[in-house]
Parts: sequence; structure tokens; C-alpha cells
Amino acid sequence: MLMMRQGLVDPARLVSLERLDALRGVSLDDNTLVLGACTSLTDVAADDQVLQRAPSLAYACQRVGNVRVRNRATIAGNVAEADYASDPPAVLITLDAECVIQGPGGERRAPVREVITGFYETSLAEGEVITAVRVPTWPSASTYHKYISRSSEDRPCVGVAAAARFAGDEIARLTVTVGATAELPQRFDDVTDAVHGGVLDADTRAQVAAAYAERIEPISDARGSAWYRTRMVEVFVRRALEDLAHAHGVAGGVR
Amino acid sequence: MTVNPIGLDYPMKDARDRVVGTMRFTIDHEVEGMAHARVVRSMVPHGTITSIDTAEAAAMPGVIAVVTGADLAADDRIASPFFGIGRKDQPPLAIGKVRYAGEPVAVVVAETERQARAAAETVWPEIDETPFATDHLEASRPGAPVVHDDWPDNACGAFRLHRGDPDAAFATAHRVYEMTYTTPSANPVPLEPHVGVAHWEDGRLTMWSSTQWPHVVRNELANIFGLEREAVRVIAFPLGGGFGAKGQVKMEPLIACAALVAGRPVRLQLDRDEVFFTVAKHAATMRFRTGVDADGQMIAREIELHYDAGAYANTTPGGMGNAVVRSPGPYRSPNIHITANGWYTNTVPTGSYRGALTTQVAFAYESHLDEIAHDLGIDPVELRRRNLLHDGDEYATGESMHDVHFAELLDDVANAIGWGESAAADGDPPHIRRGRGVAVILKSTPTPSRSEARIACRADGTITAYSSGVDMGQGLSTTIAQLAASALGVHPDVVDVVDPDTDITPYDAMTAGSRLTHAAGIALGHAATDLLAALAELAADQMEVAVDDVEHVDGAVVVRGAPAMRTSWGQVLADAGVAELARDGVFQSEGGAFAEPMDVKGVASVHWHQGAVAAEVAVDIETGKVTVERCHGAAFAGRVVNPTRARQQSEGSIIMGLGPTLFEEYLLDNGQLVNPNLSDYMIPSVLDVPVALTSHNMEHVDRANNEIHGVGEMTIPAVAPAVANAVFDAVGVRIRDLPLRAERVLRALDAQETTDG
Repeated sequence: MLMMRQGLVDPARLVSLERLDALRGVSLDDNTLVLGACTSLTDVAADDQVLQRAPSLAYACQRVGNVRVRNRATIAGNVAEADYASDPPAVLITLDAECVIQGPGGERRAPVREVITGFYETSLAEGEVITAVRVPTWPSASTYHKYISRSSEDRPCVGVAAAARFAGDEIARLTVTVGATAELPQRFDDVTDAVHGGVLDADTRAQVAAAYAERIEPISDARGSAWYRTRMVEVFVRRALEDLAHAHGVAGGVR
Repeated sequence: MTVNPIGLDYPMKDARDRVVGTMRFTIDHEVEGMAHARVVRSMVPHGTITSIDTAEAAAMPGVIAVVTGADLAADDRIASPFFGIGRKDQPPLAIGKVRYAGEPVAVVVAETERQARAAAETVWPEIDETPFATDHLEASRPGAPVVHDDWPDNACGAFRLHRGDPDAAFATAHRVYEMTYTTPSANPVPLEPHVGVAHWEDGRLTMWSSTQWPHVVRNELANIFGLEREAVRVIAFPLGGGFGAKGQVKMEPLIACAALVAGRPVRLQLDRDEVFFTVAKHAATMRFRTGVDADGQMIAREIELHYDAGAYANTTPGGMGNAVVRSPGPYRSPNIHITANGWYTNTVPTGSYRGALTTQVAFAYESHLDEIAHDLGIDPVELRRRNLLHDGDEYATGESMHDVHFAELLDDVANAIGWGESAAADGDPPHIRRGRGVAVILKSTPTPSRSEARIACRADGTITAYSSGVDMGQGLSTTIAQLAASALGVHPDVVDVVDPDTDITPYDAMTAGSRLTHAAGIALGHAATDLLAALAELAADQMEVAVDDVEHVDGAVVVRGAPAMRTSWGQVLADAGVAELARDGVFQSEGGAFAEPMDVKGVASVHWHQGAVAAEVAVDIETGKVTVERCHGAAFAGRVVNPTRARQQSEGSIIMGLGPTLFEEYLLDNGQLVNPNLSDYMIPSVLDVPVALTSHNMEHVDRANNEIHGVGEMTIPAVAPAVANAVFDAVGVRIRDLPLRAERVLRALDAQETTDG
């Protein structure tokens, strides 16, 4: 809508998906949440299964824009827009979510990470639509930090999603994705894989945060210069990992 | 007996319409046969127009006319294609050269808005770019690009005030402080954009416009077209927000010219980005030098103000006088020297922004005083107390202050915020620091100025109040009903209020400067007094009693001592064969301080508006992000007309003020405004409202004193300095440039660490 209003896109036709009830709603397939493509962000954020199994996703969806935006915006639309400053993609990528894509050649699946390919660009081919977003529920703790540098309705200066599964005190798996700082959501598995088997203590948290700050080449805009964003990446990766550490052992994680 | 409605929470007359969406705004107005306009704007900040190719647009479907500045200059129906309050320097469409990116260069009129838009996209002006200046200090220097050939030094207004012997006083000062503060440009962002419809009929122009100044618009349009004022009619519906954006003259000349050339009624509604291109707040650079004695009394002051006028003068030339008299703040200033200069730049023309010309200086003088207090080791509230003006004190202008309550306002906000107690809160994470700050401000009201009002009583029993004051959401029409009802001794429900229409409602200077409730109230009071006297005379004749024995009760006359002899006003008029009895009242204030621009002195304001704010902030020392947790505002209202709406003014002012304090600013890149939309330009949202937001509208202690003062912008100028002072209290960094962006605060924290380390 914003892009239409600003004259950046000029579609010849707009097709309403409003009444495709089959594509709306949340279900559970084994341990994977299946979000119908047309499920609104409001409905994702309020869904009991999402709140229990992917609380960071519920939180991120609840923090998008304002209530009017969340009532209209859908989870698949959010992915397909591929907006670098949107909240849900970072969480979806952290959780290893994938898109179910229907096209002329049939159905295929692709990780959200591979669907979003650039500023407002996706790997969706001509004629393809996302029909569902599948969200694995492997983490024992997950969190999302939306750092806003200006008005509360602004999009994030930096968004950090983190998820972990623990085996005793040890990190069995950890993923961290930083959104809103670069063309694509930034997830560095080599950084987080390196701490698997270790403890998520202050040193580890600082190490991962520093690595993310060093690896990301941030954009500069009115929400923050590249210098500032680098600082914020370090702060909010650290704070996200603190959440996970505090949540460890607490059912459902935080947020 | 009807209760006096002054001070009662009488509901807004149009509250239901506003809530359910049936309120009529200018944006809803249509005229039969109306065509639609779309403006073509300059992409470059400064340059000479070599050609504008309109042929393709003219041939597009539905296009009725494509008009350029050259067309206006050549049209002999247009007496002078220039307008402006301070200087007639602004053309409706650029003539010869463009002076800012976003300036209108052509207008397309078509049958539909969509057709006008499509055609406008094909109009491509050829402009020879010339060097530009978007910074007012750069524009003030010799050799800077010249915005107007008539003003080769870019000067756009200069005023000076000199009082006492500042040089001698500086020489004796215990300490001298000198700091420079800056505030950026901003937009008032009324949710209803500028919109208007112009309709020419038999040489007469009717203009429906979203304006705060209907009579001034009429006079300017008459001037442009060489018409008698009576040949122009301006009608203003209630506004969907104004905040100064719809002051003076804005799009009306362009719409009227387009309608004239097209030979059709023409409607123009701006897009959001165009609102940003139409009016901006003055950016300012302010140097304050202050000498204090050992007690912290400000004995010597020197203030140097530079305001960015933008590309056209509008109110800036005269406005610099207001900047001068508002810049000392509410403090005794026996020895003071002030200069204020406006400078043309290649940026959006400036205009009013709620608290016009005041929010800038208030940030400077209240930050400055806090800095002095800290350096002297004196509590900032105490230092203010030692310097505040009291009744009978002479102000910097030499006028004697009366009815001033700065000390009480300061005490009120300091108490409300818990001044002197620790701001730290249990449960805060270690990276959060809390602090508190206060600020006290004064603001002049436009002086001299004039408001007229009329009240009519009819034989059918109806009562109508006429004022050209514009309801822009503050509920002015309801205020007028309350004021008229109070003066007549009737219930506000029985008073109809007519929307501004220059053919019907009498002259009013402007709905601005927090002046209407005061000015219209006095004018309505005079009208009511005369009307009641005229009714009494008619009734005395009819009842064959002395005029002195006639009393008014609830819209009827009774004979003193014989309450059974009661006749309604309508019946009195019917019996007298008078269909309507109307009386006019006038408010006219006199000043004189600005007669000599280089020697400002005397009465600058009939009343000095007074406000104060205290704020508590939480600063995240790892991000620099400032969150305003608590805010309390206080204003001196004289007598509150409507407690709920007065409170909403003070608290709404605070919320609005948080924008330019924390994140609102025009961002330019290579002369282009890069954030003219509400995705990239931030205004406060409901979640930015402080968790605790309270206010107090102070009234006369003397119950016999019924003087009423405006409350529309008393707290907004105090918001930024209160918050900046609270940030200093929290983390010890002093930010002298607004807004208090997180990144700016973090850099200051880093610099502090470097210095301390």
C-alpha cells in the first residue's frame, strides 16, 4: 500500500485474497506449526499454539506496525514483501521456518531464508504463491528484541531473534538472526555452532554478540548510522542471549 | 436560573459527529462542475526555469488546463501573482526561478483527480541548477547563493533589543557562560492535509479552504486578483488539525488561479509529502551568553538568534520581533542585548508550528539556565526561583509584568515530579538511568490584534454567535457557545455557532497564538452587553416600565420584583416586529514594542502566556535511547472555560512536543527533503505518551477576576528543555542540539567516557 501510494509500484490489477478461508488459521503437523498464508499477524500473535510453541514469533508479530496494520497484514504477505525492516522474517529464519509454495509446476518447499533474496526481492517465480509457512518448534527458549530508535510505531533500527535448545546446562543448538540492519536477515551459523556444547554464560554471550557486530555490514539511514547499528547489534544480540540464558529451564521460554 | 457555563465540562457540540465520522470537513466539500488539480513540483532546490513542456499533459484525457508561473505572470486578470504576510515574495507557481525542492512549478487541472495525476507526471520542467544554501548560517555569509535577487544578502527580518548596560554588567559578573543551541525544522503534521475549492462566479471568488486565517486569506486573494475584499468570500469548515500549518496563506492563491484559468471550480487536496513541502517550522541557531553574580542572578545577557526563513518570507520578517521578546524567558533581565535575524534559504517556506518561534528559544534559555545551575552548584529549581519575574517587575522590553505566576507554576511542576527525591526506580535493569528536569516558559500573544464577534437574537427564539475563529479540534465553536451563553445568561445548548465565512462572520485576525478564547471572549462579552441593553429597551417599552427595572433571566426579560411578568426574548422581538436583533463586539489590543525594529521596547504582549513542564526520563546508557516516563505540565489559564478541553490542550501540547524533542526533524540530502512521509518522518504515537501524564491549569486566586487566557500552547515550549535537562540529570550529558536522538545521546555518552577516562 505504502509503495503504491508513493508511486513505487503500479499494479494493473489487485486480487483480493480476503475470502480464501482455507489459507487462514494455525494448525499443528507433528511438531511443526503450520500457519495458513492468509493468517493475519494479529491472529498469529494471539494463537495459543504459537504462544506456547513459538512465543518469539507471536511477540514479533504483535510488534509489527500498529493494530490496523496487523489486522490487515498476513504472515505469508510479510515474507513475500521481503522488507528488510520487518520483524517476523528474522524470527522465522531463526526457527528454520519454511514456505509451502504453490505454482504452475506444483508444490514445493523452501526455507524462508532462501525465499527472501534482497530488498523487496524473493525467489518466488512467476505464478507462484506462498500457501503456508511451516514453523518447526525445536527450541526450548526463544526471544525477539525489537529495538526502535525513534517513535514507538517506527520499524526497528535493529531486530534480533534468538532461539536455543539446551541439553542439561549445555547449548545443544543456538541460532541468532539479526534483521533490519542489512539487505537480508543476518544469520551466521558458524558463529553460533562454535558455542554448541558450551554454556551460555556471560563470556559466550559477549563472544557471539561481538562476532555478529563484526560480521554485519549495516546500512545507514534515519534510524541509525552504520556505526550506531553495529553498536546496537552487539547490545541486542547480547540482551537476546541473556533472555535465553534466563529462560533456560523455564517452560516456553520468554516472551 | 441557568448556571454560568464557564468552568463546566460542557461537551463539544460536534463530539458525536466527530466520533461517528459524520463531521463535515473541507475535504468533504464538493461543488457542482468541480475539476481537480494536481501540482507539479521542482525536483531541484535552486535554479532558473528554462522551459516547462506542457504539451503532452495538455493532450491527455480529461485535461482542462495546464498552468505555469509564466502563464500567471502573463495573465492580465491577475493583478499581482505574489503573496505573503511579511513580504509579497511568493508566487503561487514559480516564476522564472525555483527556490526550493518541492516548490510548485505547474498545476494540471483535469476532470478527475486520477487524470490530473497522470497528466502531471508528464510535465517536466527544464531547470538550470544553480548553487543552493539549505543552512541558514551558510546563507547568512557573504557570497552565499542568493535566494531572492531583491534581498542579495538573504536577509529576512532583523530585530534588536538593548536594555541597561550589558557590557558593564558582564565586566562585573562572577561568572560568564556562553553556549550555542540548535533546533531543526519540523512539520506540524495535521492529519487533514491542506485542501481547498475555488469557484469563480460573475467575477466573484468563493474559496472553501482548510485555513486558520480566513479573513487574511480573503484579503490576500483580493490583492492578487485586484478585487475589492467584498468580491472574495472565504469559507472555513472545522479543520482536521492545524497546529499552525494552516496559518497565513498557503495553497489558496494557487487553487484560485487554477480555477480562473480553467474556467471551472477547482479542488486541490495535497498528499502527505506535499504538506511537508508547504510549510515547515523555523530551524534556529541560538547563542546565549550570560553573566551571573555570586548568587546566580542573571545580571548580564547577550542573545544572538538566527532563524531559517526558508525560501519565502511569510511571517519571518515580523516574526523576528517575536523571537526577540520571547527569548529572555520568564526572567528579570536588567542588562540585556538581543538580536534576531531571519535568513532566506533554499528550503521549504516556514510558518507557524504550535508555540511558533518560542519552542526554539525556550529550549535554548532553559537548557542554558540548567547548565549555569549545575556549574554554580545551585539546584536548578532554586536558580530559577532567584531569577523569575514577579508582578510589577520590569521585563526586558521595559513593560511592567502583571498577572504573572511563574513561581507558582514552577512549584507546581516541581512538586508533581517529586523534585528533590531520587529518580531511581526499583527493578530498573542496570543499563537504565533515571533523571528529572524542569522548564518554565513565557510566550507573547499577537499584539496588537483584533477580533470581532456578533450575537443575534431572533423573533423565532433562536440565538446565534458569529465569529471567524476556526475550530481545529480544540473545540472553539463550543468555547464560543459557552462564552456567549455566559455573557447572555443562557444555556450553551441554545446558542448556535456559525462556522467562519467572511461573508457572514465578522473580522478576526487569526486563530493562532492561543488568542481566540481571550479575544473572542471579550468581543462576545461586548456584543452580549449591547444586545441585552437593546432587548431591555424594547421590553421596557412594551411592559411600560423603566429600563433599569428590566432584568434578564434564562433568555427572557422579567420586571424587577415582579417575576411573573416574564417575556421570552423571542416574544419581545416578535411583539416589536423585529425579526432579528444583532449586536457586534470588538476586541482590539494595542502594543507598540515593534515600532522600531532596531530598538524593541514597550508593550510586546497584552498578556504573557505562562507555562511549565517537569519530566522524568529513563535513559538506556547502552543505546542512548531516551524514554519520557513521566510528564507534568502547568499553565496559567486565568479562568478555565472547559476543564476537560483545557487539560487536553496542555497534555496534547506535551505529547506533540515530544516529537521534535526526541525524533522529529526534516532530513535533507543534497537539497532534497528525504523524509516527507509518515514512515520516514516520525510523530509520537500513543505508545510514546508518558506512562504518567498530568497537567494543571492554574486560575486566578481572586475569584472576582474573570479574565480568560488561552491554553493552546503553554506547555509545548517547555517540553524539550525539561526532557534535555532530565537527560543531563540522568546521565550527565548535555545535548544542545535537538532532537535528542538515541545515537546523538550515545555519542555524547561515549565522549563523556573518553573525557572522564
